[in-house]
Amino acid sequence: MANICEDLHRYGRIYIDMTNSLISISNIAKQLGVSIDTLRRWDKTHRLPSTRIGPRGHRYYRQADIDLFLRNDIYLARQWAMSTVGSTPPSEVYCQTRDVFQVRLERLQGQLQRVVPESTMSLLCAIAGEIGNNSFDHNLGNWPDVTGIYFSFDLRNGYIVLADRGLGILTTLKRALPELKDTDEALKIAFTETISGRRPEVRGNGLKFVRQVVIDNPFTLMFQTGDVYLNLKQNDRDVIISHTDGNIRGCLAIINF
Amino acid sequence: MIIELKKFGTALISRPSGKEAWLAFQSSLKDVSEHEEVIIDFTGVLVLTPSWADEFLTPLRTRFKDKVKLMDTDNASVEATMTILDKPVGNA
Repeated sequence: MANICEDLHRYGRIYIDMTNSLISISNIAKQLGVSIDTLRRWDKTHRLPSTRIGPRGHRYYRQADIDLFLRNDIYLARQWAMSTVGSTPPSEVYCQTRDVFQVRLERLQGQLQRVVPESTMSLLCAIAGEIGNNSFDHNLGNWPDVTGIYFSFDLRNGYIVLADRGLGILTTLKRALPELKDTDEALKIAFTETISGRRPEVRGNGLKFVRQVVIDNPFTLMFQTGDVYLNLKQNDRDVIISHTDGNIRGCLAIINF
Repeated sequence: MIIELKKFGTALISRPSGKEAWLAFQSSLKDVSEHEEVIIDFTGVLVLTPSWADEFLTPLRTRFKDKVKLMDTDNASVEATMTILDKPVGNA
């Protein structure tokens, strides 16, 4: 193996054995439509681990791992939300209406009841319900292209993913706060203040509630709108907004538990 | 009067269903006398969200004020929802 790796490093060739081919990071970046920096970040966070080869530790990937990753709900939800052209997601993850979402949320509830304590089930369904219904509440009659949400969950790997191709937090909150400057500010306000995007109706607790539940429990939340996102975990006191290189039309939420 | 929320469902999640519950229950509320307590029983509710509660419990409290009493519950989402609902509007 050492000789093969040295050869690979020396000649810059792709190592091929009898069972798996390793593919360079630049080719994978093209295949997935993301930047090399994004792949490096995904490697560091173990979202898509690479195989490090040679003295300089160049990153390579097995096609089998990429194929698995491509079937991953989170990746597919992100791609669906980021795509410039709207398309209908696969039927098993697509909730075109609130009624469909409600039925699938109850299915999640039933499955969670078998694997986690009732308090965990109750809180996870409540925050998933808030996020999903928020999408319907704020985009009713105004969906830019695809109506409804992407909703999927994997109890073995412990995640719930929700996405929409709606107006996004900035546009929604600007109805109530026309002075809002950018998406950073809008996302922070959505998670920290009781402001309704549907004034004069009295509402706006939803994402604050989600934040409170996440920081009080062993859950994590990634929430992205536009090109900004936040990560929350248990005991986090602050809401820190970061930028990413992929722009999402509406919202993407990933809950881990 | 005791309102058993489980009669509206065990997963009380969306705003439209909370609003529908509030509207449907108006005919029952008209019989509540001036000094009668309105007691909320959460027994049997598995999931409650602030959205549903905002459409049902908030107008109920607006109308009956401190005559609305909440029965003790150990359901985690009910506790979390009532905590958020009782916070004053404004900054976190």
